[in-house]
Amino acid sequence: MMERTVTASMPMTLGNSDADAELVERYLAGDMTAFDELMIRYERQIYRVCYRFVENREDAMDLAQEVFIKAFEHLGAFRRESSLKTWLYRIAMNHCINHVKKHSPEFIEVNEYTGSVRASVQSQLEEREQREQFRRLVKQLPPKQKAILELRINEQLSYEEIAKISGRSVSTIKASVFFALEKLRKLVKDPNLRKARS
Amino acid sequence: MFRHLKAEDFVNLIEGVELTAKHQAHIDSCARCRATWESMRTVHAEITSLETDISEPDWTQFRSSVRDELLSRSIQRDSVVRRWTGWAIRPAVAWALSMLMAIGITTVTVLWKIDGRAPTPAPAGVEPAIPVEPAAEVIESGPEKSLFDDVVSLGEEEQEQLRQMLESAAKGAAYRQ
Repeated sequence: MMERTVTASMPMTLGNSDADAELVERYLAGDMTAFDELMIRYERQIYRVCYRFVENREDAMDLAQEVFIKAFEHLGAFRRESSLKTWLYRIAMNHCINHVKKHSPEFIEVNEYTGSVRASVQSQLEEREQREQFRRLVKQLPPKQKAILELRINEQLSYEEIAKISGRSVSTIKASVFFALEKLRKLVKDPNLRKARS
Repeated sequence: MFRHLKAEDFVNLIEGVELTAKHQAHIDSCARCRATWESMRTVHAEITSLETDISEPDWTQFRSSVRDELLSRSIQRDSVVRRWTGWAIRPAVAWALSMLMAIGITTVTVLWKIDGRAPTPAPAGVEPAIPVEPAAEVIESGPEKSLFDDVVSLGEEEQEQLRQMLESAAKGAAYRQ
């Protein structure tokens, strides 16, 4: 039933903020075509974020649907202090993190930088196996760190945008990226820890 | 010696941000920071190269399911509000109104009764703040006292005349009998 369709999303630029504001006004005034336009603009981005957390289409659709319902129900309360895109990503991130926390075992926060030296990951693992290993390891990251990595690496948002989305400073976001990489590095290095977490 | 690089500095390095001269000099001389940076860079490259094959839904259907869900939740909310105003709020309002009426009627009755009574004397040992003048009604309602007062205020001649009048009246009465 669900098929991949070629519905192009509009490119996201800063100039879209005004258009977003106008669409929000139209939606709040009862114009349902504005609903479709807003959905077309953001459905792919939000769905992609959700998908990376759950890694299956049905769950990702449910999550994305909840994100949009929450957003549209509270659109009247959207204060325009940030862009609609930032606001939607924030809802999506919080929703996904809560979902993962509910449905996954506890995560261990790694906040200390030990600075230990390790050999290259490349030299330890075969390339193909390494990719699968890595995918599994990324799953083991604490949800917040994973979310920040996803937004930076896959969604290619700037650190400033991620800071706005998560309500933290740029320095904190950069530190989170560092600790996420540090944790991955430890997991790669320590097979016992890896086994225990998988 | 210059301090080791901080987490933020490593991320800047990974992102290709140029280091300050001090930081650059440090990383050139510090084996520990250099090793950390290299391992971080490798991990970062691994993550960046990971490709997730995301299967997409039918967007038209997705949009309509969001729209339907929004509509159905809105209807549910409306019916909840109606249910509350219909079955919970209305009896509560009726109950509150009847209570108000009962309290009002009781208050009016009590006030009306109090208005018909003499003022209650102040309890013993408590002096009223303002001296209380005897009320005119109280004087009128005590004729003996006012008559007595009048007698007391009569002069000797007037008292004699009054006694004679009373005696002649008593004699007249005895004669009539």
